[in-house]
Amino acid sequence: MENRKGVAGGAANRGLEENTMAILDTSGFNSSKICHHLNDDRLAFLEAVRCASLLSINGTAPTSIMFEAVFQILKDEDSLDLIMESYQLLVDLNKRFPRVYLSKTEKSESSSSNVMSELVVVQEAWSPFSFGLDSYNEKAVANKQLGGSVDSLSFHALIQEVVKVSRERKSEAVEIKFLRNMLLLQYLIIILEDDFLPRNSAYQENMNWTLLRESLLNMLLGSRKIIYKSFIQDCLCILCDLTFDQTELSSEMSHNSRHSGDLSDGIDTALVLALPEVEKSTCSVLKKLVLMIMELDLSRSMADLQGSTTRADGVRTPAVDIMLEELIYNSDILSSFLQVFDEPKWKLKVIVEYFQKYIPKSSVRTRRSNGQVKDQTFDEVLKCFSNSNSTKSIVKKLSIEVAQLLLAHAFQAYLSLSLQHLPEGSSELKEDVKGSSLAEVCKNLISAFTSLRREDKETEILPFGKEALFTAATILSTKS
Amino acid sequence: MTDAYDPLDFEFEEPIRISPSVPKKKKKVIGLDDLLEDHEKEQKRINERKSKRQKIKNTSDSEEDEDAREKELSKCVDKCQKEMDQINDDDEMPLWGIQVFGDQKIFPALEYPEPRSFILQSIVNNKLNSLVELTIEKGEPFLEGLLVDGWLLKLIFTQGRVEKSISTWIFNLMLYSSKEWLRKAACEFWCSILSPEANSSGIKIDWLPSYSDLKRALGIYGYLLDSPSKLSSDIDMIHADSDTAGPPQNIRCWIKYVAACCQVRNMHVIFSTLEAEDFLGVIISLFLDRQLLCLSMILHACMYSVISFFKDEEWHDSCERVAKSLCCRLPGDINCLRTVESISGSNGRSKHLRSAVAKQFLIRCLNEKECDAEDILRMLISINVKDKNCDLSKMYIYLGLAENWLLFDPTLKDNAKIHEMWRSCLRNCSCGIAITDLRSYASKVRSKASYLLQGMANK
Repeated sequence: MENRKGVAGGAANRGLEENTMAILDTSGFNSSKICHHLNDDRLAFLEAVRCASLLSINGTAPTSIMFEAVFQILKDEDSLDLIMESYQLLVDLNKRFPRVYLSKTEKSESSSSNVMSELVVVQEAWSPFSFGLDSYNEKAVANKQLGGSVDSLSFHALIQEVVKVSRERKSEAVEIKFLRNMLLLQYLIIILEDDFLPRNSAYQENMNWTLLRESLLNMLLGSRKIIYKSFIQDCLCILCDLTFDQTELSSEMSHNSRHSGDLSDGIDTALVLALPEVEKSTCSVLKKLVLMIMELDLSRSMADLQGSTTRADGVRTPAVDIMLEELIYNSDILSSFLQVFDEPKWKLKVIVEYFQKYIPKSSVRTRRSNGQVKDQTFDEVLKCFSNSNSTKSIVKKLSIEVAQLLLAHAFQAYLSLSLQHLPEGSSELKEDVKGSSLAEVCKNLISAFTSLRREDKETEILPFGKEALFTAATILSTKS
Repeated sequence: MTDAYDPLDFEFEEPIRISPSVPKKKKKVIGLDDLLEDHEKEQKRINERKSKRQKIKNTSDSEEDEDAREKELSKCVDKCQKEMDQINDDDEMPLWGIQVFGDQKIFPALEYPEPRSFILQSIVNNKLNSLVELTIEKGEPFLEGLLVDGWLLKLIFTQGRVEKSISTWIFNLMLYSSKEWLRKAACEFWCSILSPEANSSGIKIDWLPSYSDLKRALGIYGYLLDSPSKLSSDIDMIHADSDTAGPPQNIRCWIKYVAACCQVRNMHVIFSTLEAEDFLGVIISLFLDRQLLCLSMILHACMYSVISFFKDEEWHDSCERVAKSLCCRLPGDINCLRTVESISGSNGRSKHLRSAVAKQFLIRCLNEKECDAEDILRMLISINVKDKNCDLSKMYIYLGLAENWLLFDPTLKDNAKIHEMWRSCLRNCSCGIAITDLRSYASKVRSKASYLLQGMANK
C-alpha cells in the first residue's frame, strides 16, 4: 500500500479557497427576505468549484473546507436546484479525484512480467465519513458542530429515515426531504464503494487484511455505535419497500398531482417525474451496499482462516445469516426481496442456504473443514424434490408457495449465471453452474414442480412459477 | 495573559462578544430593510389615526381639511410602496426555465405481438399445459409477466434472436405505456439487448427503432423546440396550466434509450452523425425545463453517451454545429447561462462543447454576425458600466459566458493578448462599479468580476 500526498497546491490553493469561499460570505445579509440571494450565491459557489476543479485544465481537488461546504449544501438545503447541483458536483469530483485507487505497475523480476496492481491511498483527501474511535465518543459529539461529517450512527439514522418516509409520505415538503435523503445516501454509498472495491481486489491479490480493515465499510460496520443486526434489517427494508412503491404508488401519485392543478412552480411535477427514478437508483445502490457487505464477510472469513485478524477486529455475524433469518421469519418480504436482489451469484447462494435449513442432511457437515463452507448446489436441491418422501418432508416445514418462489428464483439466477460469459479466475462460479447441463436442470425443475403439485392438488402454481416452467419448457424444446 | 482566577475576567469579555455584530450595519442591503421598516411604521400610524378618526367622525365631522391631507399622504405612501416593490423585483435574479414541453398528443394504441410470433405460439402449444394452464386469452397478460419478471430476456439470450413483433411491442410499451412497471421492464429489456454483453454473445435483433421513431415519440410528448423557425422570443416563459402540459413519465425511458443507442455505434448503426447532433441539442434543451430538474443525473449520463458517439474526426464540426443550432433555438437571457452550465465538462469533448456554446451565445447576445475573439472582447470592454442606462443584468450574463468560453477554448489557451483584454474587461467591472452602487445587479457584476480577477491572479 502506498500513501500518497494530495497534489500540493500550497499558496495557490489557499488563495483559491479564500476566493471561492468568499462567494458564500453572508455577512451582508440578515433578513429572511433575501433568501433567494443566498441561494443564488450558493449556486454560484457550486459553479465556481466546478470551474476551478473540474473544468480548468490543471484543476486541483477542492480543499477540505470547500468540500465540506458543498457537502453541507447537499445535506441541508431545501431548494431542488441546490440539491441536484451539489449532488452532481460531489459525484463528479469523486470520479475525478479518487481517494483510493489501484495503479498498475509492471514487475519484471519474475520470469513472466506479471502486472501487479498497487493500492494508492490519498491520505489527506476529504471524505464525508469520520469514524472516531468509540472510546472517544464524547469528544466526537463535542466536535459535531464543526464538521458535517457522517459517522456510523448518522449513516444508520439516514437509512432509517428513508425507510420511514418510503412507508408513509404525504406532503411536498416531505418529498423534497425524501429526495434529498435518497441522494445523500446514494452519494455516501458511492464513496463506500469506491473505497472498498479497489481495496478488496488488492486483498484478493496480496492477502493483506490491513487493507480491508482500514476500509470505510469495515470501520462503519465495526463501530459499536450501531446495532449491526438492525442495520442490516433496515437495509433489507429499503430494498423491499422501494420496489413495492414503484409499482403501487407512482401511478397514483402522478394521478394526484394532475388533479391538484398546482403546477405553477413545477416542483410537484419535477418530483413526480423524478421520484421513481431516484427510488430505483437508491434501490440499486443499496443492493450494492448489501453485496459489498457480503463480499467483505467473505474476505474476512478468509482472513480469519489465515489468522490475520486480531481480537481488535471484533466478531460480526455474516450478513447472509442475518438476512436469511429475516427472510425466514418475515415471509412477507421474501417475494419482493427475491425480485429486487438480482445479483445471480449471491442470489443462488442465499436460496440454496435457505433450502439447506430445511433439507435433511445426508451426512454431518463440519463447517470450515477445508477452508470454505462446502455448499450444496442448486442441482442437489432440485434432486431433493425428485422423490415424494423428501418433498413431503420439506413442504411440511416450508409452505408450498415459498418452495415455489425459491425454486423459480433460483432457476432464474442459475440461468443468468449459465448465460454469463464467465470471466477467468472465478472457478467457484463455474462449479455452481456445472454439475449438470442446462437441459437437465430444466427437466429437474419441471419435475420438482410436478411433485410439488402432487403434494397438494388444491394450490395453484404462482404466476412466477408458471413463467419459470414456461421458460424451462421453451429452452428444452429449442435445445432438443 | 490575565490570571485565570481573576474575578473580573468575565466582565472584561462581555463587551468584546457584542462588538463583532456592529460592522454589519454598514452593508448596502440594509437600506432596503430600513425603508420597509419605516414604511411599515408609517402604515401603522396611519391605520391608528384612521381608527381614531373614525371615532371622532362619529361625534363630529368638522375636520375636512385633515381628510384631504390624509388622502395626499396615503397617495404618497402608495407611490413609495410601488417604487420599493420595483427595486425589490429588479434585484431578484429571474429563475431560469422555459417551457420545453407543451400539450401531450394522443398516445398510439399498444398492440400485442401477432400470434404467429414464436414465443406466443409456444405458449399455446406448450406440452406442459396441465401445469401452466394457459389459454390464448391469457396469453397477453402472461407475456407481460414474462417481460416484467425478466424471463423474456433470459429466453431471448438462450435463443440468440429478438423477433420483430416482440421488439416493436416492447419498444412501444417503453415509450407509450402508462404503467410504470411495464415501462421500467421494457426499458431494461431494450438497454440489455443493446448492451455490449448482449452483443458479444451474438444476439440478433430483427428490428431496431430509427431516429424518426424516437422523434415521433418526442413530438407526441409535446416537445416544443423542434422547429427552428420558432423564434426564441416566442417561447413561453410561464408554465401552461393545462392538464396535459409537461412530459409524461415515459420521458425517462426515452432519455435512457437514446443513451443506450449511442453506446453501441460500432455494432448497430441506429443514428447518423447529423441525427446524433440533433439529439445532443435536444438533451441539452431538456435541461432548461424545470419539470425535468431532478432528472439531471440521467440527463448528464445521456449527454455523456451522445458526446462519445462521435468519432474523433467528426467531433470538431459536430460540436460547432450543435452550438450554433442551440443558440438559434434557445433564448438569450438567463437561460443561456443555464444552458452552458448544464454541460458538465467532465471530459475534453464536454469542455469543448461548453466553450463553443458559450461563445456562440455571446456572439448572438452582442448582435454580431461573424467576429473573432478580439472583436468580442473589444465589444465587452467598450460597455460602460458607469453609465446609468447600462443594463447590468446583461453584463452579468456576458461575464458568465465569456468566462466559460475563454477558460476552455483550446485555440486561445496561450494567447497573451486575449488574456490581457479579458483582464481589462474584468477590471472595468470590478473598479467601475462602486460598492455603494444601488443599481440592480451592480453588486453581482462587481463581485463576479473581482472573483474572476482574483482567480487569474492566483494562477
